[in-house]
Amino acid sequence: MTFEQSVFYVLAAVSIFSAVMMLLQRSPVNSALYLILNFFCLGGLYLTLNAQFIAVVHISVYAGAIMVLFVFVIMLLNLGDEKRLREHLGIRMYFGIAFSVALLAELLYILGFSSANAYVQQSPSAAEIGTVEYLGKVLFTKFLFPFEITSFLLLAAIIGAVILAKKKVVQ
Amino acid sequence: MNTDIIIKNLSLLTPELIVTGTLCFVLLGHAFDRKNSQLYVLLSFAGMLTALFTLTSYIGVKSSVFSGMLNVDPFATYFKIVIVFATLVILVMSRFSDEVNNETETVGEYYFLILSMCLGMMFMVGASNLIMMYLSLEMTGLTAYVASGFTRKAKDSSEASLKYLLYGAFSSGVMLYGISLIYGLTGTLNIAGINHVLLQGSANGWALSIASIFIIVGFGYKISAVPFHYWTPDVYEGAPVTITAFLSVASKAAGFAMMMRAFKVMFIDSSAVSVLAGTWTFIHGVQIQNVLIILSVLTMTLGNLVALWQDNMKRLLAYSSIAQAGYMLLGLAVLSNDGFAAVMIYFVVYLFMNLGAFYVVMLISNKINSEHIDKYKGLGRKSPFLSVALAVFLISLTGLPPTAGFIGKWMIFLSLINAKMIALAIIGVLNSVISLYYYVRVIRNMFLRDEQEAGERMTFPYAQQILLLSLLIPTLYFGLFFNQLIEFAQFSVAMVGVK
Amino acid sequence: MIPLNYYLLLSAFMFCCGVLGVVVRRNAIVVFMSIELMLNAVNLTLVAYSAFLGDVTGQMLVFFVMVVAAAEAAVGLAIIISLFRNKQTVNVDELNILKW
Repeated sequence: MTFEQSVFYVLAAVSIFSAVMMLLQRSPVNSALYLILNFFCLGGLYLTLNAQFIAVVHISVYAGAIMVLFVFVIMLLNLGDEKRLREHLGIRMYFGIAFSVALLAELLYILGFSSANAYVQQSPSAAEIGTVEYLGKVLFTKFLFPFEITSFLLLAAIIGAVILAKKKVVQ
Repeated sequence: MNTDIIIKNLSLLTPELIVTGTLCFVLLGHAFDRKNSQLYVLLSFAGMLTALFTLTSYIGVKSSVFSGMLNVDPFATYFKIVIVFATLVILVMSRFSDEVNNETETVGEYYFLILSMCLGMMFMVGASNLIMMYLSLEMTGLTAYVASGFTRKAKDSSEASLKYLLYGAFSSGVMLYGISLIYGLTGTLNIAGINHVLLQGSANGWALSIASIFIIVGFGYKISAVPFHYWTPDVYEGAPVTITAFLSVASKAAGFAMMMRAFKVMFIDSSAVSVLAGTWTFIHGVQIQNVLIILSVLTMTLGNLVALWQDNMKRLLAYSSIAQAGYMLLGLAVLSNDGFAAVMIYFVVYLFMNLGAFYVVMLISNKINSEHIDKYKGLGRKSPFLSVALAVFLISLTGLPPTAGFIGKWMIFLSLINAKMIALAIIGVLNSVISLYYYVRVIRNMFLRDEQEAGERMTFPYAQQILLLSLLIPTLYFGLFFNQLIEFAQFSVAMVGVK
Repeated sequence: MIPLNYYLLLSAFMFCCGVLGVVVRRNAIVVFMSIELMLNAVNLTLVAYSAFLGDVTGQMLVFFVMVVAAAEAAVGLAIIISLFRNKQTVNVDELNILKW
């Protein structure tokens, strides 16, 4: 096994483990911490895919901003553990589990075993497109318009969050 | 991309720029006079009116801007006109709404939210790249989540917006997975480019079907088609009535426009010769026509059946609007220019009748502070004008002549019959019969049932009556003089990237 | 080298974990975290395809997904806070004022 393969297997194993653990934890804080672990593994996987810039941005945005916000809100609301993981496992929930298992089977079948396109080698240009320079060039030419839209999206989100958080309790 | 090209591209997006400018002004207006809602309404109304006039000068323009991110074509312009017009009506409606005016602290942000929803929808109808589709969908969604939780008084308001957010984020996540599969299969996100690659026929059929179904989940959520409709009744009931009306008309129109464009440009095999002239076939491997048919039948049947049990007017109209989405999906499932034109005609009609119905509900709830259907008893005596107007809107929603709703339904059923889908047309007609029952129940309550205690006559200011008239007249007008509307819709079916 | 399918299978698995979390968990915040997991699974698919196809579009979409995820998290958590103030709960099963 080469170094690259072993890195991939370790990261993949940890990310599967942390995704499952996130589901199984009763305490929301623990769930959040497992999710952060998962995000770090993803950052590593991006590196194995030669997407250096995405990896850095991913860590700083997800682990650094979004998950901090989550943990902060959990602490702020002082949420306790869920009493039991499944409070009443009704018919809807069985249906949900069956649905997700079916979805997984379907996706595994499509992506894993019947895939006609057998890509075994990363494209030779993969190392080049992952760089800041290349991404920046494309982002500000071909994708200029969506980029501008995102600035607007963020403005709307900021104002929205302020309105909602400003609301007072009605007695 | 140099400055000249950017300016040239932007000049095709003048209406959007005007809307953007207006909403910046609304935000800035906040700094001067926080609580003057009149100022915000005037400012936004003027801006939107200008945008509407600018839009009319783009009728017939057919072009693609910003490296294929957005299309400016008759199809997009048609829907933009519908959306901007709906926004204008909603702005005036909000001015009259007690629910909105009570929120003196945040009334400026309210108008900002309405305008930014409108802007997001204008991008939705033009988006011709899956990135733009996703972004504009989210932009509309995010502002809508906030707007539906806007009122502080209503206890269910924040609950409604949480449900909206969770369902919305989930379905857009599923849609995104579909997009990523499509990207893997074709190597591009431009919808015309995807079509080009798919036509070469190397893509795995299974993966393609799954991806297209995932994408339908995202669209289905936006137009509240049936398995993805769970949020609709709750959000429509919990949100302020102005936002409900806006979501039920404009957001649905934008969702439909995006869905129609995506399917037509991405998945239609333009080289195939179809059995019936005028209908299209999907690319081999994408078998989603049946999915669309099943969705539409489910949507209208469930919407109509559940509406029978509703006692809250907002909830009743929510289920009725689910059912209406079902009829429109029929027009989409036909897969022909006729069907698309029928959907577009239906949206103009739907704009007037549905906004009208919600407007009356809002006026009545301003007075009696209730939306319960029993409280409508004896309304025919207390306020004849309002009751007659509501009756006309409801008759139009059922699809009976001589109202505009009849023309809308008629065009859809006609396109079905032309495509030899008689069974579907019959299901549609049967559904209209079911819907008659619950619409008539409201009308009967207003005119034929007497209230226990004799209520006082309700009077409404002239300004409020003028808005009602301006929704009522088109509902009747398009029922009699519809040729121009039909011609305009048939002209506007044209899209960039399709022969 | 690791073949593309390995990455795709991993991301499919993570996506389904996210879906399962949305369906099964009752705490609105955890449901929301599951949605973030789904979005990240999508990101992994996109980056993997992008590297194997040698095309930059996928990585661009990843950027936009991140922006949307951040915006959505801000708005979503604000909604959860305002809900908690009203009802003292974030359990989605207890949200039942509005029912059909």
